[in-house]
Amino acid sequence: MKHSNIISFLLFILLTLATTLPAGASDYLNDIVRANTLYAEKRYAESIQVYESLIHEGASNGYLHYNLGNAYIRMGKTGPAILNYIHAQEWIPRDENLAANLKFAIQQTQDKIEPPPLGTLNILFFWVNDFNINELVYFAIIMNLVFWVTLTLWMNFPFLKVARNAFLGVLLLSFVSIGVKIINESNLKLGVVLAENVDVKSGRAVDAITLFQLHEGALVTVTDRHDDWLEVRLNDEQKGWVPQKSLGT
Amino acid sequence: MRICTFKKAALLSLFLVLAFSGISFGQNISVTATVDKNSLTLEDSLQLSIVINRTKNTPPPQLPSLTDFKVASAGTSSSTQYINTQRSVSITYKYRLTPMNTGAIVIGPAKVQINGKNYSTQAITVEVQKASSSTTNTNKAAFVEASLSSKKAYLGEQLVYTFRLFHRVEAKNLNLQLPFDKSWFSKEELGEPKTYIKVVNGLQYHVQELSIALFPLKNGLVEVPSAIIELDLYHRAQGRNGLDPFNQIFRDPFFGRGVQPEHKVLRSQPLSVVVLPLPVRAPKGFKNLIGQFKITAELGKRDLEVGDTTTLTVTVSGRGNVRDISFDEPDLKNLFKIYPDKPEFKQTVHDNQIRGEKVFKFALVPLEAGSRTLPEFSLPYFDSKSAQYRIAKTNPIFLYIKPSSAKENLNFVQSRQQDKLMTKPEIETLGTDILPIYTELDKLQSDSSHSLIFMGAGFGSPVVLFIISAFLMKRQNRMKYDVPFYRRRNAYKNASQRLKQMQEHSDSKEFARELSEILREYVGDKLNLQGKAITAEEVQVRLKESNYASLQAEETRKLLEKCETLQYAPMTQGSTKQLLGESENLIKVLEKQS
Repeated sequence: MKHSNIISFLLFILLTLATTLPAGASDYLNDIVRANTLYAEKRYAESIQVYESLIHEGASNGYLHYNLGNAYIRMGKTGPAILNYIHAQEWIPRDENLAANLKFAIQQTQDKIEPPPLGTLNILFFWVNDFNINELVYFAIIMNLVFWVTLTLWMNFPFLKVARNAFLGVLLLSFVSIGVKIINESNLKLGVVLAENVDVKSGRAVDAITLFQLHEGALVTVTDRHDDWLEVRLNDEQKGWVPQKSLGT
Repeated sequence: MRICTFKKAALLSLFLVLAFSGISFGQNISVTATVDKNSLTLEDSLQLSIVINRTKNTPPPQLPSLTDFKVASAGTSSSTQYINTQRSVSITYKYRLTPMNTGAIVIGPAKVQINGKNYSTQAITVEVQKASSSTTNTNKAAFVEASLSSKKAYLGEQLVYTFRLFHRVEAKNLNLQLPFDKSWFSKEELGEPKTYIKVVNGLQYHVQELSIALFPLKNGLVEVPSAIIELDLYHRAQGRNGLDPFNQIFRDPFFGRGVQPEHKVLRSQPLSVVVLPLPVRAPKGFKNLIGQFKITAELGKRDLEVGDTTTLTVTVSGRGNVRDISFDEPDLKNLFKIYPDKPEFKQTVHDNQIRGEKVFKFALVPLEAGSRTLPEFSLPYFDSKSAQYRIAKTNPIFLYIKPSSAKENLNFVQSRQQDKLMTKPEIETLGTDILPIYTELDKLQSDSSHSLIFMGAGFGSPVVLFIISAFLMKRQNRMKYDVPFYRRRNAYKNASQRLKQMQEHSDSKEFARELSEILREYVGDKLNLQGKAITAEEVQVRLKESNYASLQAEETRKLLEKCETLQYAPMTQGSTKQLLGESENLIKVLEKQS
C-alpha cells in the first residue's frame, strides 16, 4: 500500500502538470472567438488588435499566429503577415495551409525572397524541421518512460536487453533532436522587413554606405545584434546592417 | 721483357696491315651491275645486283629509270676476303625487277658517288617474252585463271568475278591486285577465299579461289583487266639420297636447304563484258533493284483491341542487292499508330551469288475499333533472267479491331490528331488567395512552453520509479535467500501477532511460558539465534553485543526471569495484563533500537 501510494501520487502530479490550463483560459477563448468573428466580418484591423493583444499577453499558439498573418495579408501588410507565418511555423511546421499562405505572401513581396535553405545539420536531422519543440519534448518524455520501464523489466527478464538498448538509442537521439532544434531557433533567427523600404548599410550608422535595399516582406537571416542595429544576411555575399525597428524577428 | 717485345711486334704488324689496307681502299674501286637472267617471261622476275668493290661505306646506288619494271629492294650484303694478305671488301645492293612489258628492255647504268667521284655501271639488255603457252597450263608449277559469271549483264545486275590460283608447290608471300575501273563497276566482297584441291590434266593442284561481286555502273563493252598476283614458289630439289634421314631433315624448309625459292608474277587473262541498259517503261516505284525477289507480310497478333500492340513483319528475300531495299511506313491513315523498327539484314553467298534477306518490322497500335485492311506491300524489280520488270507483292491482311476493354486514355498511342481531341484540358488559374483562418478552439488553445517542473517530473519520475522498483526487487530477493534478514524483518510482526493472541489465555502458567517464548524468539529472530534455547542471561549479553541499550537489555533479562518465576507461581488477571503490556512496550522499544 505504501509503495502504490507513492506511485499514485507521482502519476497524479504528472497528469496535473500535463493538463493544467493557463489561468484565464475562458477569457482567452472568448477573445479568440471574437477575433475570428471580426475577421469573418472583414473587420481585419479590429481582429488584428485582438489577436495582437492575446499574443502580447503571452498566448503562444501557431494557429493564432497563422490567423493573425491572414488578417495582415487582408490588410495588405505583407511584412507582418510573413513574420507571423514564420512564428507560426515554429509551432505548426507541418501545416499545409500555413506553407501555402507563406508562399502566397512571399509572392506578394517585391523581393520575393524564399526562406534560406537548410544547413547540413538540418539535412542530417531532417525530421527536426517537421516537429515543434513541444512535440520533440513530449516524444523524449515518452521515450524516457519507455526506456526506464524496459530497464526495470530487463532486471527480471534479461531477454529484453536488445529492446533496452534500442530504446536507449532512440532516447539519446530524441535528446540530440531537441538540441538541434534549440540550436536552430537560436542561431538561424529569421527576420522580416516590416518597413516599406529599408537601406542595408555597410555599418551601424545612418550615413554609412547603402549596400542594397530591401522591401517589405523580405526575408533575411539575422546574424548579429548591436545597440539598435541588426546585422542581416541574404547570402554569402550580401550582408549589412539595418535599424532594428525596421525588422521583425 | 719478352712480353714487351711481343706487344711491340703485334702493334707493328697491325699497323702494317692497316697501312696496306688503307692503300687498297683508295685504289681500284669498281662498280658492276649483274642480272641473274637476261631472258625471261612476264611471269618471272630478275634480280639486279650492283656490286661495289673495295669499299663498304657507300650510299645506295642511284638506279636508272625503270618504267618497264616493277622494282623492289631485295636486300644488301657485304663481304670481306683475305687473299695472300690482300684484303678485299665489297658491298652488294640487290633489287628484284618484275617486267611489266615484253620486248628487249635496257636496264640503264646505275650511278654511285664515292669520295666525290662518280662511278657508273654498264647497261644491261634483257629480253622479256610473253608467258610461254599461256593458254595451256600444262605441267606448270603455278598458274592463275579468272572468270566472270556472265559475258552479258544488265546495268546494276550482279556479276561474279572469280580469281583462282593453282599451285603444285608451296606458295608464300601472296600479293594479289584485282584492278578494275571504279567508274564502271561497284564491288562487294563475297566472303573469305576458298581453298580446295583440284586435278588438272592428271596433276593435283592446290586451288585458292576468291570471288567478288561486280555491279556494272555504265552501259557498253567493258574490259576487266588482268588480275596480277605476286608470290614466291618454293621448289624442293629432287635429291639422290632420298633415303638419308639427315638429308630428309635438312631439306625441310625450316633449314632452308633443298628448297629453291622462285618469285613469280602471274597474270590472269583480261575479260570483257557487255553491259546492257535496262528496258524503258520501268514500273512506278522501281529503285534499280535487279535480281529475283520474294516478299511476304505477316501480322503477329490478330485478335486486337484498341490500344493493343501487334507486329507487322515484311520479309524480302532473293538474289541481288537486297541490302538497298527500303520501305516507307505503310499508309494507314491515322487508323494505327506506327512504330517502325530497325530493319534486320542477313546476307548469304550461295553458288557465288549474293543472296539476302531483309526483315522490316512495324509495331502497330490500333486507334479505332472496326474492320481494317492492311494494304499490300509492293516491290518492283527487274528480273535479269527473263529480262522483264516484275512486281513482288504481299497479300492484303484483314483484321477486326475490338473496342478497348480498358477505360483509361491511351495517351501513349495517340496520334497527333487524337492528342488534340483527348488531351486533358488544362485548368486555367483565374486568381490566387490565401487559405482561410482556423476557427477550431481546440487548436487555438495556448501552447505554453513546458515548465521546468513539468520537464523535471517527466524526465525524473521514471528514474525515481526505477530506483524504487529496483530497491523493492532487491529487497524481495533478499527476503527469499537471506534467512537472518528475513527473520529480523519479520521478528516484530510475528511477536506482535502472537502477543495479541495471548489475550485469551486463562492459564497463568501457560501464559508465562508462552510470553517467555515470544520474547526469546523475538530476540532470537533479531539476533539470528536459536531463541528457545537461550537463557535470560545470554539474552542480555547478546543484546548488549548487538548495540542495544543496556537498560532495555537488562529489562529484557528481568522480564524473562519474571516469566520463568511465574511459570511456578499463580498470577492474577491483572498481573497478566500488566506483564503483557510491559512485554509489548519492551518489544516496541527494542524494535526502534534495531
